Amino acid sequence: MMPGIGNTGLLRTTWLTLFSHYRRHPGQLAMLLLGLWVASALWSGVQAINASARDSYARAEALFSASLDSVTRRDNQPLSLEDYLALRRAGMPVSPLVEGELSLSGETTLRVIGIDPLTLPGESSLARQQSDASALRDWILPPYRARIAPEQAKAARDDPRLPPLEADPNLPPGTLVTDIGVAQRLLNVETLSRLVVAPGRALDLPPYLVRQLAAALASPGQLTDSFHLNLTAMGLLALIVGLFIVHAALGLALEQRLGMLRTLRALGVPGRTLVIALALELLAFGLLGAVLGIVSGVGLARLLLPDVAASLDALYDTDVASNLALPWYYWLGGLAVTLGGLFSAGLGMLWRASRLDILALGKAQAWRARLHRQLRLQVAVGAVLLGIAAWLGWRLGHQPAPQELALGFAMVAALLLGASLWLPSLLAGGLGLLSRRLHSRPHLQWALADLQLQLPRLQLPMMALLLALSANLGVGSMVGGFRLTFLDWLDQRLLADLYVRPSEVQHADVVAWLEGQDEVQVLLEARHAEAPLLNVEGQDTGRSLALFGITPAPVMRQSWPLLESATDREAAWQALAAGDAVFINEQLARRDGLAPGDTLRLRGPQGVVTPTIAAIYPDYGNPRGEAVLPASRLADQFAAPPGSLGVVLSPLPSRDVTRIQAALGERFGLSGDAVVDQRAVKHTATEVFERTFAITQALNALTLAVAGLALLTTLLAQAGARRAQLAPLWALGVSRRQLVGLQFGQLVSAAAGTALLAVPLGIGLAWALVSVINVAAFGWRLPLHVFPGQVAMTIVLAVVVAGLAALLPAWRLWRVPPRQLLQEFAAA
Amino acid sequence: MLQLINLTKTYPTPQGPLHVLDGIDLHLAPGESLALMGESGSGKSTLLHLAAGLDTPDRGDVLLEGQSIAALSEPRRAELRRQRLGLVFQQFHLVPSLSVADNLTLQARLAGREDVDWAQHLLARLGLAGLNDRYPEQLSGGQQQRLAIGRALAARPRLLLADEPTGNLDEAAADQVLDLLRELIEESGCALLLVTHSVRVAGPLDRCLHLQRGRLAEAGP
Repeated sequence: MMPGIGNTGLLRTTWLTLFSHYRRHPGQLAMLLLGLWVASALWSGVQAINASARDSYARAEALFSASLDSVTRRDNQPLSLEDYLALRRAGMPVSPLVEGELSLSGETTLRVIGIDPLTLPGESSLARQQSDASALRDWILPPYRARIAPEQAKAARDDPRLPPLEADPNLPPGTLVTDIGVAQRLLNVETLSRLVVAPGRALDLPPYLVRQLAAALASPGQLTDSFHLNLTAMGLLALIVGLFIVHAALGLALEQRLGMLRTLRALGVPGRTLVIALALELLAFGLLGAVLGIVSGVGLARLLLPDVAASLDALYDTDVASNLALPWYYWLGGLAVTLGGLFSAGLGMLWRASRLDILALGKAQAWRARLHRQLRLQVAVGAVLLGIAAWLGWRLGHQPAPQELALGFAMVAALLLGASLWLPSLLAGGLGLLSRRLHSRPHLQWALADLQLQLPRLQLPMMALLLALSANLGVGSMVGGFRLTFLDWLDQRLLADLYVRPSEVQHADVVAWLEGQDEVQVLLEARHAEAPLLNVEGQDTGRSLALFGITPAPVMRQSWPLLESATDREAAWQALAAGDAVFINEQLARRDGLAPGDTLRLRGPQGVVTPTIAAIYPDYGNPRGEAVLPASRLADQFAAPPGSLGVVLSPLPSRDVTRIQAALGERFGLSGDAVVDQRAVKHTATEVFERTFAITQALNALTLAVAGLALLTTLLAQAGARRAQLAPLWALGVSRRQLVGLQFGQLVSAAAGTALLAVPLGIGLAWALVSVINVAAFGWRLPLHVFPGQVAMTIVLAVVVAGLAALLPAWRLWRVPPRQLLQEFAAA
Repeated sequence: MLQLINLTKTYPTPQGPLHVLDGIDLHLAPGESLALMGESGSGKSTLLHLAAGLDTPDRGDVLLEGQSIAALSEPRRAELRRQRLGLVFQQFHLVPSLSVADNLTLQARLAGREDVDWAQHLLARLGLAGLNDRYPEQLSGGQQQRLAIGRALAARPRLLLADEPTGNLDEAAADQVLDLLRELIEESGCALLLVTHSVRVAGPLDRCLHLQRGRLAEAGP
């Protein structure tokens, strides 16, 4: 029999004896499970959101239309059946497609896609599904068939307009695919939305048609990668803070069980059995914590997902199901991360138990002697980490080419961890310094000396508090700065009072009418087009560039923000207006390493165009590269159809936006999305902004709450031991009221000290977020803003969190009867 | 029962090696009780730790019922402690989170031979009947030491090793505990090696040896 492994009776008794500690100290068990639960719940919640969103992206990417090139009219008008037939007659392998929205009863809206299965390129998954002859017959003959995303199958089943439905889990949420004839009937159209063609198939298109390469469009997964990475980073922070609680609870339990462990060894329990029993105990906690955490995480995700889905839709135009879709590896991953986190937090405990000095019976507190050595080690490791963070910061700050997001996160992790490791030594040093200056105040001197003694136990929750506070300040500064910059930028970019989007047919009439109105000061015409981007050798890069045509009127020249220009601002505008220059957005400049003075190579309908870059402008929130040029030139060189009209009204007392809006409706039938008030655009943009950061701020607040819990649970867990230390003081004549006050003051000052370190750390984090992470993730840099109010709030938050955490233990101390304090004194 | 052969133990100190035990030879017969006396720092506890397999000698051997302990692996030594030895410490070393009843049967359960009747008998003999559900912190010092003796005997060991078992008790409690210990040793038939610096404690035992500067000598009357 293998000793220590085969003897299950021995193992069982050892395990039960070890576990009896938690029966007598349920607070410690609660603290441990709470830490695990919170860590696992926040992590699992974030991962559930990510997994569900990724499932939606995968389904969207698997959809046939996402992998095919599109052919549309250059003027954005729908295609006719004749357009399609002309191409087919010319031998081009295009297939027609109709796309539109259909409202069902209630609030369900379906994206209806009509296809022609006979001509649809065979590479698509849907085409492959229709390859069976009987399925094809059902599809194209009455009563027809439709495939629908499972999420909407129930709501759509009773709609009499729809053909028989088959739920297809491969379809993106909210999508229905059917025969093109059925789709035209459902959408009440006779035209075609676009034609599709397999990538790589040659087409000789007439000039009024344009081909959009599937490869040139970023997939939803690519577009939203950064969003999910940020979410994951916040989840990871919450996980780490939660594991701090677990680590603190395990350390405390080990410290209090050292005597028990040594007794068990003396009574004949082999060291290996002891380690196995402790590992089994960890496993049991881990499984319980993971189950609780994952179940709560799924609940949390269910709550947050609708908001996240709405944000992703607004930001990236992606459809994410509001229902959770969790693959098998999500559950396994949640379990693995919780257990992995628990074992990494418990590794130290297992290591110490395996190296237990059996002859040190009765020396349970001997570990205190190692404190100074441990602090020195922490400072050394912290210095290395801070050095790495500084080096990465310098490297990333001076790197002009696209920066690596992973390196940015590594820098942030090194900075936070390094500073956390320094915290106990800094606090100890500060307390020692203060203590020496307080000779004449024995109460305060004792309180500071006692706080130093408590540091080994308090260091982990204080480190968790430091992380949470600095994340709060850093993310708060980033979001606050972003809000300020974004709103400012919106004001600069949204110059017009009204934005009108007439059809191409009406465009000239609307312009003429608006120019005839006294109130209208200037019309800012805008156009949009796409052009393939060429490399210096004139070869196609496979990427297309968004082109934005503007009217470089004086009002726009004054307010349009520029980050960098070849010479000066006025010269850049003159070059743009002269027609041989463009402005490019920051995203394109960073991604392609372009600077003012460089040349762009674009393929237009009439040949290659090579404008010079006159300036770089900020373009917050845009995931794509973009170039700006005069709208008139965009129309000439790139056949851009007329777009929106910005109407700037004169600053006269008689100006009336509503009257113009009403007149445009009456005269041209323009309403709804075709005539938008600037205030409405700003409102929508601000709403999208706030919603995007709502989840970040929610996770931030939760992390702070977790850090508060870590502090509370540590205080509760050590309350008994603390009473034994306070009882002698009480016996010496310090009243209970004073003891409570001293305890309160100790914790609040430790938290305030932590907050003082959190301030520079938070500002460092904000710099990393705006100058490194943001640039790597989104391609644009934000100015760093530090808000004194937020700094003050960080310190106040630390004091409030510490005060709240100290409240319950203080209340319990307040209610301890003198008899019990007397017993504690006798035992001390 | 227990044989110590040329047992030597040295500890390094800043002032040079400290020879705590220097060629100790000792024999303890089954059922015999032996007191090992000596001043503080004379090596009594070290000898007891070596006999219990808690530590290993630099030279020499410890034979328990003819089996060499020094040559055994750590898990085997632990098994031997669990199955054949009973240990009583000056500081009691009870498990604070286990009740009186669970503490008493702890080693018996670890050894896989819990005897409920014997445990009940011990509780009654130790004067702890009715305190089954209490925890160590709710007992007096004398009660705690009696419980520690009960824990050591509940597994019916062949040899009981006691390190200053009354060192933490007042005279009256110490006498009571010692009387009880002797009675229970006789009742269970196990041998006893007791370390003490008190003549009063050592007196009633079968034999008494004195440890001085790492060597053994028969104690005088």
